[in-house]
Amino acid sequence: MSEEKEKTKEDFEPKIVGFLCNWCSYAGADLAGTSRIQYPPNIRVIRVMCSGAVDSVYVNRALLEGADAVFIGGCHPGDCHYLNGNYKARRKMVLLKNILTTLGMEPERIWVRWISASEGQKFADTVKEIVDETKKLGPNPMKEKWNI
Amino acid sequence: MIYGLKIENDVPKTVNNFLKQLLESGKVEAVLAMQETPSGRSAFPTMISDPDKLDTNVFAPLLPVSTGAMVSRLTKVKGSKKPLAVVLRACELRALTELLKLKQADLENIVLIGVDCLGTFPMKIYSNYPGDEDPTEVVLKGEGEEDMRTACLNCKDPVPETADLIIGIFGTDTGKSILLDTRTEKGQELINDMGLSEFGNEKDREKAVLDIRNKRDEARKAFMEEHSDIIGVEKLLEFFDTCVNCHNCMKACPICYCRECLFESDVFDVEASKYMAKAKSKGAYKTPTDSLLFHITRFNHMILSCVECGLCEQACPSDIPLMDIITAIAENAQAEFEYLPGRDPEEEMPMVVYREDEFQDVGEG
Ligand code: SF4
Ligand code: SF4
Ligand code: SF4
Ligand code: FES
Repeated sequence: MSEEKEKTKEDFEPKIVGFLCNWCSYAGADLAGTSRIQYPPNIRVIRVMCSGAVDSVYVNRALLEGADAVFIGGCHPGDCHYLNGNYKARRKMVLLKNILTTLGMEPERIWVRWISASEGQKFADTVKEIVDETKKLGPNPMKEKWNI
Repeated sequence: MIYGLKIENDVPKTVNNFLKQLLESGKVEAVLAMQETPSGRSAFPTMISDPDKLDTNVFAPLLPVSTGAMVSRLTKVKGSKKPLAVVLRACELRALTELLKLKQADLENIVLIGVDCLGTFPMKIYSNYPGDEDPTEVVLKGEGEEDMRTACLNCKDPVPETADLIIGIFGTDTGKSILLDTRTEKGQELINDMGLSEFGNEKDREKAVLDIRNKRDEARKAFMEEHSDIIGVEKLLEFFDTCVNCHNCMKACPICYCRECLFESDVFDVEASKYMAKAKSKGAYKTPTDSLLFHITRFNHMILSCVECGLCEQACPSDIPLMDIITAIAENAQAEFEYLPGRDPEEEMPMVVYREDEFQDVGEG
């Protein structure tokens, strides 16, 4: 019985919203594609000019609309095209996760990763990791809520 | 330096006379301080330049708006050309400090007079205060806690530490004298020629301040514990069930600093077909949409500067006890960044600075 339940839980295909920095992770995703590196098709990519441009409102909105995970991809620390956008993104996401933790709202659905333009394989691996971990978490309960 | 201020008549009148002296001496051209409205049902920060119209009650236990936000309104276009004394409570001063960091206020020619805060009543209670008693007298006697706003009972610090001059109540015998604690040169200049004598009971003062802080601290901890069960999406949705998305909480908040709030703009406006798609994806969709999005995002934008004044809660038409969740959110978020809003005007806001060697686990697999 519990085994069956477990199965349906992990059986779903998570929807992941990815905010990827134009200068690194987005290009990394591109490279993964052109190099024919396989990765799960669960991610919907939104290109942003810098990870520092990702306000919490975008992440919250995706989660409240039912995205099973949100992925913020930025340049490695020190490599931000705008010098410090990723350091600020890091603080913003720490704050967001802190608030969601206090509220008991599954901060583990938010992923931050630094992936450069040449790291196609890392991009593919990251998406796979997010999909696997999100399957363990199960679907975002928000999806069922009509009253948010 | 701490001086005694002898009581004439009663405490509010004594302070009113003190302010009058400042006006008449020409040291300031106007005073911004709490003054009761003619009906007596309310009191507001009032800018007074005519000594004859000065009828303040800086201890009126009411927080209709934050004086910090009012100073911002008065000075954000251009600072004051003439000297102005602003009298404000601790949470109002903390809000002002945060607004200064945001460059939304200007202290040019302004001297800040802080008052010890005994706590305040909700507007609804203050304006129809039961019985014949005067609410100010009630709090000056150290009573009335059962009616006080939760924000006040849980106050992080009711002493306005960073003011130029503090009008102190804690540790004084309000039948005889209260105290004036000058914290800066600006504050000292105000009273230099008043011939005041030393307060002399510094020990009593220290102890009383410590006591009230401990009391509020303990209340705060118990309060957070009591409400620690409002977690998880179910509970949160239930908590906000009666929210009509009016945004009053944001408008009343002294810290919600945006010239135009994102949620009052048209960025979320989309064509009908998109709403239809939303409805279809979930099967149903409540309107107005995005209440929870508004609250969670608002917290993200301002919680590090939240001074826990409780004005949001007071402004809510649905009586949602917002502080039940805001207190813990502020506590945890501010602890994460080791930041206390209003503590130090020189301290930078966490979201405008960063360190390369922090939070290094974020972003690595
Ligand atoms: S929150 Fe503190 S400073 Fe503000 S009104 Fe209440 S007791 Fe006073
Ligand atoms: S969120 Fe509420 S308690 Fe915090 S500063 Fe704004 S109005 Fe005051
Ligand atoms: S004031 Fe109350 S009803 Fe209005 S948006 Fe805020 S929580 Fe909702
Ligand atoms: S440009 Fe890539 S994170 Fe700033």
